[in-house]
Amino acid sequence: MLLEIKNLKVKGNNKEILKEINLQIKKGETQALLGPNASGKSTLAQVILGNPKYKVTQGKIFFGGKEITKLLPEKRAKRGIALSWQNPPQIKGVKFSELLKKISKEKIKGEKLGVDSSLLEREVNLDFSGGEKKISELSQILALEPKLVIFDEIDSGLDIKRLEKVAKIIKKELVAKDVSILLITHSGEILRFLKPAVTNIMVGGKIICKQKDYKKVLRTIKKYGYEKCKGHALFTN
Amino acid sequence: MAMRNVKGTHYLQIDHRVQNILKIKGVEILPAKLSWEKYNWARKYFQRKPKGGYFIWVKRQIAFPLLTCISITSKKIHQDLQNLLIIERNLNINLNGTCNSQKRNLNCRHKTWGKIILKEGSMLKYEHIHSWGNKDIVEPNYEFFLEKNSQLNYNYKNLFTPKKLKIQTMFHLLEKAAANIKIAVDCKRTQAEIVDTLNLKEKDASGQIQLRLVGRKNSKVSARSQILAKAPGRGHLDCQGLLVDKSSIISLEPKLICKNKLAQLTHEASIGKIEEQQLNYLRQRGLSEEEAINLIVTGFLK
Repeated sequence: MLLEIKNLKVKGNNKEILKEINLQIKKGETQALLGPNASGKSTLAQVILGNPKYKVTQGKIFFGGKEITKLLPEKRAKRGIALSWQNPPQIKGVKFSELLKKISKEKIKGEKLGVDSSLLEREVNLDFSGGEKKISELSQILALEPKLVIFDEIDSGLDIKRLEKVAKIIKKELVAKDVSILLITHSGEILRFLKPAVTNIMVGGKIICKQKDYKKVLRTIKKYGYEKCKGHALFTN
Repeated sequence: MAMRNVKGTHYLQIDHRVQNILKIKGVEILPAKLSWEKYNWARKYFQRKPKGGYFIWVKRQIAFPLLTCISITSKKIHQDLQNLLIIERNLNINLNGTCNSQKRNLNCRHKTWGKIILKEGSMLKYEHIHSWGNKDIVEPNYEFFLEKNSQLNYNYKNLFTPKKLKIQTMFHLLEKAAANIKIAVDCKRTQAEIVDTLNLKEKDASGQIQLRLVGRKNSKVSARSQILAKAPGRGHLDCQGLLVDKSSIISLEPKLICKNKLAQLTHEASIGKIEEQQLNYLRQRGLSEEEAINLIVTGFLK
């Protein structure tokens, strides 16, 4: 097992946000995490990456068989965990190319990552369009050469053509290289391109069910809402 | 000859000794004290008979930047310098000037009193780099005189600050002269006092001052930046501070003084801190907290 989360409880601003989370992702496996707004999906991603804003009050996180619950964010990144942010912050005065160079494991060319050369010359995330943000995040992820990537809403704000392009890069550069993926998505758009082996549903800070057939999950959500997934799941948490 | 020497430093002073002066056709470079003897007319630009520093008189256009370096390599050196730079009419000159101490613990003092004269229609791009040790005391005091239609781009950067830093800079602008001034100081264990004044003396003079100050560990930074308009000109002050460490203090005082009703003066000032979100983002990309702070600070000072 590459990532293993056991009985995780998390507080942020003294409020319990995540409740008894259990999640296992194998090497090379793609999983999805679906849920309504404010269900705790992005918080879970930040906790896996070690954001000090959140306090783990119970449970443990293992990566590659080793416990990382108290590890610094930069050390988790070095071990191979990467997160593509939904709303990445601006870093004024720092060119995107400078950041890429700083974080890259080896010298990589922007073109290889499908990055427009004019984007490389711009300041990190400053006035980037929705599509540019996704490309920027994806190219940074590839530069890190991770073992596990969490994509937080990579499909939001992308039209179908761009989504297909992004999915193609993910397949070629990550899935084909046995990188594990957790797709956090609100709309579920990306799932039909990347076909997750397991789809997790999160409501109110809990994973309420896990389902192998993502199409079935999407159909159920559309028809009955997230809450009803529990009743229609193949196996629950 | 000049082309062969373009990579070298045109004026090099180490401690109190003038180590090297390169000859350039159309530019006269002398130790300031020799110019005092040689040119009676130059005396009015000096405060008193100079003990050290340079005299540079640019009489013809040159195709490469002038390089000056005033350095300290020995302990407890007290430099007392007077620099004079004169650029003749309609010339377009680049100057890269460095002042530094070679080691962090020399306990030295660098006091400069400089005058820069831009004659009518001339242009100067001046990159002024300071780098000091943490026991040094540094006091640069510069005055720029911009004659009619002249243009100045002045970029002062101090990324390794001394124990005490007192910067005083004045810019006097005559008719249609324009100045673009950037002062960036990254203070670490420093007590810094920065005073700059842009004086729009004649019609259609314009200028802006961009101040970027960083307060790292145990720093006390105080800046007073002002624009004075005596004629219908335009001026803008942009003062920003970034407080990185809670042991530091930054105070910014932008001031506009308008003595002419047709002058347009504006200012903006802010002091902020590094956002946790930015820090966390960069750390998740594998940078340590210190590397992330350095990257954000570098971006801020640009």
